[in-house]
Order: sequence, then C-alpha cells, then structure tokens
Amino acid sequence: MTEIVTDQTPPVLHGPSDKEKKYDRQLRLWAASGQKALEDAHILLLNSGSGTVGVETLKNLVLPGIGKFTIADDSIVTEADLGVNFFLDEDCLGMSRSESCVRLLQELNSDVEGQHYQFGRDRPLEGLFSDATFTLILYTLPIDSNNLTLIQKYANEKKVPLLSIHSAGFYSYFQTHLPGSFPIVDTHPDSTATTDLRLLTPWPELSEFAQSVTKDIENQSAHDHGHIPYLAILLHHLARWQSEHGALPSTYKEKTAFRNFVSASTRTDNAEGGEENFEEAVAAVLKTISSPHLSGAVKEVFDYKPDEVESVSSFWIIAEAIKTFYSKHNALPLPGSVPDMKAQSTIYVQLQNIYKSKARQDVLEVLETVRVHPGGKDIPVTEVEIFCKNAAFIKLIHGKTSPASIVEIADKEFESDDIAALAMMPLSLLPIYLSLNATSHVPSASSSEIVATISKIIPSASSNPRIVKAAEEVARAKGGELHNISSLTGGMVAQEVIKIVTQQYIPIDNTCVFDGITSRTQVLRV
Amino acid sequence: MVQFTKRDQSYHKSLGSPTNALAKEARVLMVGAGGIGCELLKNLVLSGFGEIHIVDLDTIDLSNLNRQFLFRYEHIKKSKALVAKEAAHAFNPSVKLEAHHSNIIDPGFNVAWFKSFTMVFNALDNLDARRHVNKMCLAADVPLIESGTTGFNGQVQVIKKGVTACYECSPKELPKTFPVCTIRSTPSQAIHCIVWGKSYLLSEIFGTSEEESAQIDSSEDLENEKEIEKLRQESQALKKIRGAMGTQSFPQLLFDKVYQDDVNRLLSMEDMWKTRRPPQPLKFAKVMEKAAELAPVDQILKDDQRAWTLEENVAIFTDSLARLSSRMQSMKTSSKSDSAEPTITFDKDDQDTLDFVTASANLRSLVFGIDTKSRFDIKQMAGNIIPAIATTNAIVAGLCVLQSFKVLKGDFSSSKEVFLSPFAPQRLLSSDKPRTPNPDCPVCSVAQALLLVDMSRATLGDLVEDFLRLELGYGEEFAVVNHQSQTLYDVEETHNLTKKFSDLGIKGDNFLKVIDEGDENPRVDLVLNFQESSISPDDKPVRGVNFPPASNSEPPSSPIARRRKPVEQSNGHTADAPNGNGSALVTSDSGIKKRQISEIDEVEIPAKRSKVQSNGYGNSGDTIVLDDTADVAILIDDD
Ligand SMILES: [Zn+2]
Repeated sequence: MTEIVTDQTPPVLHGPSDKEKKYDRQLRLWAASGQKALEDAHILLLNSGSGTVGVETLKNLVLPGIGKFTIADDSIVTEADLGVNFFLDEDCLGMSRSESCVRLLQELNSDVEGQHYQFGRDRPLEGLFSDATFTLILYTLPIDSNNLTLIQKYANEKKVPLLSIHSAGFYSYFQTHLPGSFPIVDTHPDSTATTDLRLLTPWPELSEFAQSVTKDIENQSAHDHGHIPYLAILLHHLARWQSEHGALPSTYKEKTAFRNFVSASTRTDNAEGGEENFEEAVAAVLKTISSPHLSGAVKEVFDYKPDEVESVSSFWIIAEAIKTFYSKHNALPLPGSVPDMKAQSTIYVQLQNIYKSKARQDVLEVLETVRVHPGGKDIPVTEVEIFCKNAAFIKLIHGKTSPASIVEIADKEFESDDIAALAMMPLSLLPIYLSLNATSHVPSASSSEIVATISKIIPSASSNPRIVKAAEEVARAKGGELHNISSLTGGMVAQEVIKIVTQQYIPIDNTCVFDGITSRTQVLRV
Repeated sequence: MVQFTKRDQSYHKSLGSPTNALAKEARVLMVGAGGIGCELLKNLVLSGFGEIHIVDLDTIDLSNLNRQFLFRYEHIKKSKALVAKEAAHAFNPSVKLEAHHSNIIDPGFNVAWFKSFTMVFNALDNLDARRHVNKMCLAADVPLIESGTTGFNGQVQVIKKGVTACYECSPKELPKTFPVCTIRSTPSQAIHCIVWGKSYLLSEIFGTSEEESAQIDSSEDLENEKEIEKLRQESQALKKIRGAMGTQSFPQLLFDKVYQDDVNRLLSMEDMWKTRRPPQPLKFAKVMEKAAELAPVDQILKDDQRAWTLEENVAIFTDSLARLSSRMQSMKTSSKSDSAEPTITFDKDDQDTLDFVTASANLRSLVFGIDTKSRFDIKQMAGNIIPAIATTNAIVAGLCVLQSFKVLKGDFSSSKEVFLSPFAPQRLLSSDKPRTPNPDCPVCSVAQALLLVDMSRATLGDLVEDFLRLELGYGEEFAVVNHQSQTLYDVEETHNLTKKFSDLGIKGDNFLKVIDEGDENPRVDLVLNFQESSISPDDKPVRGVNFPPASNSEPPSSPIARRRKPVEQSNGHTADAPNGNGSALVTSDSGIKKRQISEIDEVEIPAKRSKVQSNGYGNSGDTIVLDDTADVAILIDDD
C-alpha cells in the first residue's frame, strides 16, 4: 500500500481537541449539547432474526460517538451471517454473535464502550436488566414473544423509548414507542420562520426608537433617510396608516395596499433611483405585518395535562410558566433576534439591544413563575432561556394516546388506493407493514400463512391483491435480510435514535415503512 | 457460467437469479471513496457485484472518521482509495477490486476506459469532478448513478444518455464570488472580511501574491479603474513589509499597514463614505496597551465557539503570525535554492492558518463596524464546510444500490430520483420519476460521436471540408472549438485549415465541438471525441463512427439532429439544484430575495412543504422553490 507522507510536520495542536475535530462535521448539526446527550447515552440492541439491520443501526451510532452500547443476542455466527453482515468475518464462525459484532463495531470508534450479553438456556435475558440502565432500546424482528414482553415491561417501568425494526428481503419498517409524552424544545425550525418582530404590538422602547429615527423623516439627509432600519420604516408607516384608517392593516388586500404606501415613500431622486432600506421594508411587509398566533403544536402543549410524574419535569414546569405568560400578555416570550438589514451600525446595535433586553425581560418574568413552582428552584436559567427562544416551535409527541385501530387505518389507506391511480398518487405501503408484522414472531412463513394471519385483523385481506403480493414477497425472502436494505434502514433508524437521544429535531410518529422495490417510504401512525 | 456461493444465498433469494447474475458479471466504477463511497463499497460488495474500481485522489483526515467507517486513526494521511480497497478485500476476497489514488479528471481515464464499465457511481464532493464524470459517461454512453449529501439532506439520480436528465440539465449554483472592491475597500458583511483575510492578506504574506483567488472577482469596469490601481500599489507596499518577516517589529508593521494606513487612505476618499459608515482605523500600540491583562493565548484559543474581543483578536493575530512566520522560515531553510519559494495556503484544518484568518478577519470587521464571528463559524464560512453524518450517507448509498438494480436490468423508467427530506416527518424520503433530458441542456443535448483520425496526416481542413461539409452536409457557417473553448475554425478564422491536428495541440482523447452557426434550422452542437487511428493511406484521414440517427430530419437532411424548441418540464425539484462544491455562504441579499419569492402569494412554510410533497408524483409543471432552509444554501456534498 502506498504511504503518503507529507513533508511538513503537522502544526502543534492549539484550540479544539482531537475529539472536536473528529466530530466537527456533526457538531455543526446538533452542537455540543446534542453531542453531550449522545455521549451520555447507553443503547441496548436486542438482536434476533438474521441480525444485520440492528448492527447496521449501531454502526451509525458508534461512528458519531454514542457513549455506550450493549448487544444482547442468543445466536452463534453461521456462514449465512457472513454474506449479509459486514461486522462478522470468517474467524467469527461458530462464535457468539453478540461478542463478535461488539468487537468489530468497537474498532470503529475508540471513544465508545461496547458490551455484549450472550443469553441462552443457562443465562436468561432477565439478567441483563438487573444492573444496567438503558437510554433507549432497539430490538429487531422477528422476536421471541417472551423476550419482547420482557423488554416492553422494562421500558414501561423505566420510561425508556423502544424502537423496533423489521427488515426482510426488499421490505422493512421501523416503529418508535415513546414512553408517555415526548416534548421537544430544540426542533430546529426553518430559520426564516423564526423571525418574530412584533411590529403590530410594539412595546414602548421599540416605539420610541422608531419615532426617534424617523423624526422629521421628510427632511432627513440622503444618508440618514437611506439608513433608517426597515423595522423603523414599517413602524412609522404603520402608525400613519392607523391614524388614517383607524386600524392596522389586517387583510391581504390591506397589506398589499400598505406595501404600496411604504413603497411610495422611497426617495428616487438619487443615483440609484431608490433606497435599499425601503426595498427591504417593502419586501418584509407580508411576512412581518401579521399578528402572532399560536401554532397547533404549541396549543397542544398548552392543552396537555401532564401526569404526576411528568409535571415535575423541567419541561412541563417551564411550559406551564410560558402558558401563564401567554395568557397574561397574549404573546409568547420574545425570541429577541433581529435579522440583518441596512442600517448604520450604531443604530443597528441599538435596535438589537432593544430586542435583546425585551427578550431578557420576558425570560425573567417566566423565570419568576418557574421559581415559584416547588420543583422549579433548581432549573438552570439557560434552560429557561432556550425554552423562551424556541417557545413558538416546541412540539409534543404523544407516545401514549392510542391511534386509530389498524382496521380503521386499513379502510382509509385502501380507500385512497382506489383513487390513487387517477390522482397519480402513490399506493399505500400498509400491505408491506401488515405482511412483515404477520411474521413478527416466526422466522419465516408461507404467503398463505401470512395472509391468514392478516385476515384475523382484516377479514378482507385475502381479496386484496396488494396484500397478497406483499405477503408473497415477504414469504419469498424466507426471513432473510438483504444487506443493502438493512444498511439503508439502519441509516434511517439511527437518525431517529439521534433525534430522540439529543431531543433535537422532530422524530417520526410512529411507523416508517420502506419499499426497496420502488425506493419509497411512508410514515403511518399505527 | 456464474458460480454462486453460500454467501450469495440471501441476495440470490431476494434479488432473483437473473439480477444476481447480472451483478456478479458487472464491472462498476465508483468515483470517490469518502462518506457515501465507504457505504457504497460495503453495499456493493455485499450485494454480489463482481468487479469494482475505485478512484479517489484524497487522503484520510481526522474529520472523516465520524462517518467514513472503513478508515481508522492509523490510516490518517493515507490514500482513501487504497485503504478502502484493502478493507473491502479483507471482507470478501472473491470480489475483484482495483483502486486508483488519482484524480478522475486525469486524461488517462478516457472515454474508452469509461466505456469498459457497466455503470458508474458518483460519490464525489465537488462540482468540477461531478461535471467531468457526467460528461464522460454521456460520451461513453455508460449509465451514471449520481449522489450527494449535505447534513441531513441527500439526493440520488440515475443518468442515462437520451433517457433521463443529466447532471447539468438543471442549472447548478456556482461558487459565490465577490467584486474586488467589496473585499478590498467596502466590506459590509463578515464574509467579505473572511475572504479578505484568507484570499488577500494570508496569500500576500505567505503565498505567491500574484495567485488569482477564485473567490475575488477582479474583472474591472471603468468606474473602478482608479481604485484598482490604488489597490495594486497597496499590495506592492505590503510585499515590502513581507521582507520584515521573522523580526520583532513584523506584527506591528503589518498590523499598522492594513488596519491603520490602508484604512486611512480609504477614509481620505470621502465620496466612498457618503452613504456608508466610515471605517475606524486601529493602531497596534494603542490596542496592545489593554492586551496586557489578557488571559494566556492558549486559553483564548480553546474558546472556539465565542467571538473574541478586540484585544483577544490582536493577541491571536500576533501569535498565529509568529507561528506561520517561523514555519515559513524553516521551510525556506530546508528548501533547495533552485526550487520555488515555499508558500503557505489556507487550509481549514491547518490550525495556524485558521487562527490567522479568524483574527485578521475579525479585526477588519471591527474596523468596518461589522459583527465578529467565532472561530468555529469562521472555519465553516472560510472552509466551505458542509456538515456530514453517517446516517445520511448510509441512506443515500443504499438508495444508489437500489437504483443500480434497475440499471442492471436496463429498466430506466422505473428508476427513481430520490431526495432525503428528513424534516418532512410524513415521508423522510421523496421519490420521483426520473426527469427527461432538458432539450436545452448544454451538456447532454449535443450530438456525440467518435472520430477516428490518422494523426500523421490529418489536417483541420480534412475535418472541415471532407468530413463536416461533404459527409455531414454542414453549410458555410459553423465553428470548431477545442476542449479549452478556443476557436480553431470559423468563417473568419481559416488560417488553421492547412495545419495538422498535432500542430494545433490536439491529441487522442481530446474533444472538439462543432457549433452550427447557420441562421436557418441549425443543428445541435456536435461533440467529437478524437481517437488516434492508423487509416489506410488510400482512405480519407478522418472517419466518423457511431453517429446517432437523425431524430428530426427536417430538410436539409442531416445525421445531426436540429435544435428543438425548448419545452418546459420538471418533476418539481429542478429549482432545487442541490449540488456542487459551491460556497456554502449565502449573503443576506439572497436571503431577502428568497423571502420576496415566498411572499408573492403569502405562502406559509407548512403550505410550501405540502406543496412540494404533493408534487412528488406526476408532472404538474410547477416549479417549486424549495427554500425551506432559505439562508442555508442546499449544497449536496460530502468530503
Ligand atoms: Zn443534460
């Protein structure tokens, strides 16, 4: 192998550590807080079936530096494993599958600690739960029903998220089972959506600022007039509009008229034939001149009644305080950031400070409510700050509330399939889910057996050609995994694990079905 | 006869024998062994592909290890292609693997070589190489599976000449450049100061000062002529200061030159500051007075995520300058007298250059009243860093292999163009039918042909008169241009006609383009791939092979198709253009423009998302602007 040696000695290490350098590309997605959550996590994989998809999932968690992982498995490595599992080689034949996989996975990242638990007749699976605590549990299907009951019981007691995965032939699905309600503060909303300027409800400091920079606006010098921040231009014109019309612009038509009204104030008797700051103001009218309204997701958080255990968590204590704030002010705490705009830098800094200090004031008010709560004494200020900043984008995923029954879902899905061809819509992937689900506890089954199992829930199954076809495909795979499908599925599952562990971004709710024949996914709430 | 082993069992079962046999007999090329490449190689080996060639010119870096799982600590600085090959070979010795630690753009990788593959996978990190492979695959008529990722976003598309859209059928975002005056005289954003630090100051002091920076556009217009002349003089004066490198006074000399003297000169041009905030010069001695109470440099350097203060920036400026200077001195001592001057250029992973660019850019920002940035942010902005993670690569590589099964069967119509949309929680992936080729695409709408040429005697005249006019029926008005876009022949440029191709610098494997300049019903551009050949002296020295049949033979008849009228078509993602190694920087200007677009009908974000989703099927003809991430350009990449 060619050795490439640079003739330059590497510079002495300053600044970021090797670890920060290694994780640089992902820190740009979930930041140090997300990385810390990953490093504090301990993931359990209960591996069964042909055993590839779970290991591929772990690979994608070991690489970004999950703290710890454990594989529990009762299988011995066979020749068939080698063809699909990258983390097993010839030397592993006849050995414990969990031990072999842990050893090879651990080579990927020395920061990660891997453990194995080979269970069997003389070493029951129960032993695993006696002294270890897990952040999240992955299990692969098909699985022995006794083992499943065991981990479901553990997850339920300890409020640990569960993720099941089933990959066979060209098909796969995975399902998240979140314990109770799962709230997310850092949802990473689209940055353009986060601008909240409160132009229709300015507070006194903001109004005073706008008045001072638009004072005697007609007679301002070209330089001053061309540097009024667009926020102030809009506030000035809103005040004039209100005195002329008796109300602020609210309908689309009024806003369009208001936009023309602002545009008409642009000075055009200059070399450029216009002013950049006025252009910015005109462009911002429709986006910023709107009264704040609560998103459905935030309403859901406000309406949710946390149970006793939940209500002492910092999320629900802060959420309650924000709700109090909202009912008092009819607005959420101000996020406090100001977009870039044409302005003199001293004026811009002044404007930034007005928003920042209002945001700080709002945080203090929320904090005060938090502190009054018996469980709110020790909640860090930064947590309240982050919550206030993201208040408009918080999201709650209900783990517990029961979804529609599978029969109802099937009725709806197959009904839309009937018109799918006409509407050029894709067909439902529910048949794939049903067929895989029918083999949850058996290594393989014939297509008629699969259809018979489905018929127990959906009586018309055998007359649905798409269910029959999916069942045939699952039967054909004989419980075997295709490495490529399992690798792809492992990528999607690991992504969901990262979302859940870091409590950043919004995890899927709750089942994702993948069809490798058409390269399609569908998310169902089952 | 294809032999199946026990290992093949699982894919044999599920793929079905015919596809499995096709995979086993296939000879595929994988360009790029980075994030997608590592995953792809693993999946190809485990999906039963018989022969895989790997090309990558990169070496392994520490920051690759969070996702490029075939590599370990001990592989740092070794060839990606070679290490990847070793790793995959150890896993399955029965697969034939070949690795090239070279640039895919090298002329040795010619059309004939590309033709030897069943299909090509692009797992690249830059626009130029992607364009090149796209062009070569079209010329060789070999199917290409193109892929890329940026953070949680990703994309896969199948490119088959004449059947599906090529990489360039939709325009690509080009790397952002800035006018020289913005960078040198009137910066208004942090990025202007970062480009100044990286492409001007660092290169004037430690590089070859004449080197052209790709990010600074110095094409002049008359208005700026005077200012540009002044800037030239400024650079000259800077060169003199460079002579003081290594002396005690060097940091002060440099600092006062660029943050005081040059700023004062700018200030003297009052016109410039009528509508702008005038800059405020900084004086080294004065700033240093306060710098005494600072924390030690090492401690400041550890603070990666916070924007440093003025004094801290000066301390890092001085410190990094000393580090770079002493490196330069030792490079000079060790270099031979007859070799070129050693240089240091910006590298985001070279801590010394990054510290210097961070401090010098921030100081300039302070002079011009612009917000300063943390080193973490500046690294991203200066280094065009694209976030990358294992999960996205795993998904994209898996999708590539799924498309390859369709390609093996020649079933292009059921291939998919897939976008990863992790923030649409209702789908995760969105799959579209492949787009058809854009009839106006400058790359794939052309006619392609192989040209056998006897280089010992063929002249340009043989091509123009005997071949193009007599055989192909070209009229008076057309042009022949070489691979560097220089015109060899047109109606006014006839003096090359008697020259041999060898005298015109044309060699085998070069491309010539024939552009029909006739007014009436012109032909599409014709791209000729030169192949050296010994042709019998009795025959003409230039001969064409495999000409495409005329698809629309309007008179006068011609084997080269006529240009079509443009037809609007789209699968809803054309405006996305998520590709290339462009700059990851989007200025607030473009942010404003995007907002304007989104305001036209007051579309709210959720509505936009659903619009994109519903557009995933069928071709409504709508062009959707996917600007959900409006101020983060969607650039698909992975290094
Ligand atoms: Zn094209």
